[in-house]
Amino acid sequence: MKKRISLIVSIFVMLTTLAACSGNGGSTSNGNEPAASKEPTASTQGDGEEAAGSDISGEVVFLTHRTDMVDTEYLEYKKRFEEKYPNVDLKFEGILDYDATLKVRMASGTFPDLVMVPTIPNNELSEHFAPLNDIEFSGDIYFADLKAYEGNMYGVSSGASTVGIVYNKKAFQQAGITEIPQTYDAFLEAAQKLKDAGIIPLASNFKDKWPLDAWVYDVPTLFAETTAHQNNRAGTDTPYTMDNEYGKSWSMLRELYEKGFLEKDINSTNWEQSKKDVASGKFAMYLLGNWVINQVIENGAASEDIGFFPFPVDNSGKVKAPLNPDWFYGVNKDGNVAAAKAFLKFLIEESGYDDYSGFISTLKSKEPKLGQLAEFNGYNPTFYEPVQPVDAATQIQNKAQLDQAAVVQEFVLSKEPQKVLDKVNASWAKAKKDLGL
Amino acid sequence: MLGKMSLRSQKRLLLFSFVTVPLLLLVTFAYYPAMELIRLSFTNWNGISADKAFIGWANYKEVFSNPDIFGVFRNNVAYFVVGIVQNIVAIYFAVVLNSKLKGKKFFRLLLFLPYILNGVAVAYLFGYVFDTTSGSLNYLLGQLGFDKLAETSWLGNTSIVNYSLASIGFWRFMGFNMVIYLAALQSIPNDLYEAASIDGANGWQKFFYITMPNIYKIIELNLFLTVTGALEVFDLPFVLTKGGPGGASETFVMKIIETAFQFNNYGLASAMSVVLLLFVIIVLSIQRYLLNRKGD
Repeated sequence: MKKRISLIVSIFVMLTTLAACSGNGGSTSNGNEPAASKEPTASTQGDGEEAAGSDISGEVVFLTHRTDMVDTEYLEYKKRFEEKYPNVDLKFEGILDYDATLKVRMASGTFPDLVMVPTIPNNELSEHFAPLNDIEFSGDIYFADLKAYEGNMYGVSSGASTVGIVYNKKAFQQAGITEIPQTYDAFLEAAQKLKDAGIIPLASNFKDKWPLDAWVYDVPTLFAETTAHQNNRAGTDTPYTMDNEYGKSWSMLRELYEKGFLEKDINSTNWEQSKKDVASGKFAMYLLGNWVINQVIENGAASEDIGFFPFPVDNSGKVKAPLNPDWFYGVNKDGNVAAAKAFLKFLIEESGYDDYSGFISTLKSKEPKLGQLAEFNGYNPTFYEPVQPVDAATQIQNKAQLDQAAVVQEFVLSKEPQKVLDKVNASWAKAKKDLGL
Repeated sequence: MLGKMSLRSQKRLLLFSFVTVPLLLLVTFAYYPAMELIRLSFTNWNGISADKAFIGWANYKEVFSNPDIFGVFRNNVAYFVVGIVQNIVAIYFAVVLNSKLKGKKFFRLLLFLPYILNGVAVAYLFGYVFDTTSGSLNYLLGQLGFDKLAETSWLGNTSIVNYSLASIGFWRFMGFNMVIYLAALQSIPNDLYEAASIDGANGWQKFFYITMPNIYKIIELNLFLTVTGALEVFDLPFVLTKGGPGGASETFVMKIIETAFQFNNYGLASAMSVVLLLFVIIVLSIQRYLLNRKGD
């Protein structure tokens, strides 16, 4: 009997230890001790005000997601920036899993001076970030009102990108495609030619899920000719129907899949390998942002062999493209605000980060250096800038635990796509009702 | 100072001070987080805002009423099934490698090695093995002449994806189970077998009537590890399939992480963690009840 009790006790101890493991997410990140978090806040606040009053000086820490740049490019930025502002000590900290990690650190009360704004609702921005309206940029900037609340801007986009077809010119040549397709029918024709030439027309990277975001956000934008479609979902019980922008986009991907224009087995795709394959011409196209161009070139393609054109979603001949922001810089309101703002301005205007990353500059007037972007602009596309996300849509989506890219996967693979939409709509409607929206 | 105390209280003081440090560590890193987890599971905390509204049992109701949440346990069944097979194979190898066999140390090492590899590295490795068009497994099958089989999408077919993933776990943990069994086998005194041989018992009889009863407790331990492992599997599908295709290989722990970090619903995620904890306790109780029915 005694033995049994000790066994039960030991199992209980083991289980509670396990509980600590699985509970990691919930418990280590709570940071709910107001006393502990308020104290450093108060003290650093004093520092911040002091710095704002005097010259730009002191230590500035920039928390970045570009871990690859910390020991290379950023060192050079540091040198140039500190030449301009000799009293500033600029430091970089690179982390992976940026969004989640930063949120945990923000919840704990202290975080670096300059960060990338994580995914939090806009009405909570003012609790953590300093308004940036007083930074004087040399011209108009894109996305000024995207991370804004009640007239204050809290985030400046680090760059802009667009989505279209990145293609290997040699593969096109080999398949005998002489003209860049301007309509969807011509696009299908080109894909057929590529397929006949033994080249895989479009690398979807279906398995990895995130490459499907283009089909969730951008292709619907092209169909709807507005970026508000994600927000508009909040107003309906059936946001996903066969004949609206989502059904149309996803049916398009399904059509490409059924015609054999995607990878041989879309459930077994390999992202890193796909870049090499596009570079070598084994795959012909990507439907992704312009950021991928540099990566393809890094994987062995000659820059002049890679082209970029707007994706024709219909036969109208109208050239359309979305314009998306990248991460937004945000300044910790309790940190070294003045110096962080100075560095933010430096990053946007002088660092050359946008060209290094293959972005379209946040400054509207600045022409992109990347040849492929110039080619893309040569088609004169109408750009669709994003609108500020409506909280209700995000809330419903989170409540319904809706992962749209996963729905795209299901939609394409399912025998009855309509049922997939019905299921998603049902959970959407339920979540909407539960939230009382 | 100590000299003035009686021997009894000295002893007590000593015991107390020795126990304090580990207890403090345990409370800080195990019990306090566990209590916090349970507390959070009754709130609707979004992971970042300062207010955590108390919402009673709503999170738990959601866990059990939403088939999208509770239904993913179905995907864990594969790991459980493969785990049982894994234990049987582990016992087999333990028995074989415990006998007089040439190069048995080498084979033991060979079977144990996968366990040392990092989980994510293993997942990446098998990404190349299971690749449909250029993977080594399909290449091998093709070379052996199974042309039809060589086109199998191991990670893309909804009905086999979980078994493909579980087989990686099999490869990785079988050696570990085997080593535990081996240790148990080596503690069985040899004269038992000798006596049985003299009485004319054959190999099977020796196995069932001497080996099995002697390693019974160890089987229980290994099953405990298998069951918790099957319920909490996470790294393999997270790296290899991201829960796809269409959520067919999503496991409960992946769902918890998604709920907390993607959908910002820490309250619900905490409730799911607590449910997982209870689930482990229930399954283990059933297991203990079944295994101990014979009574001891």
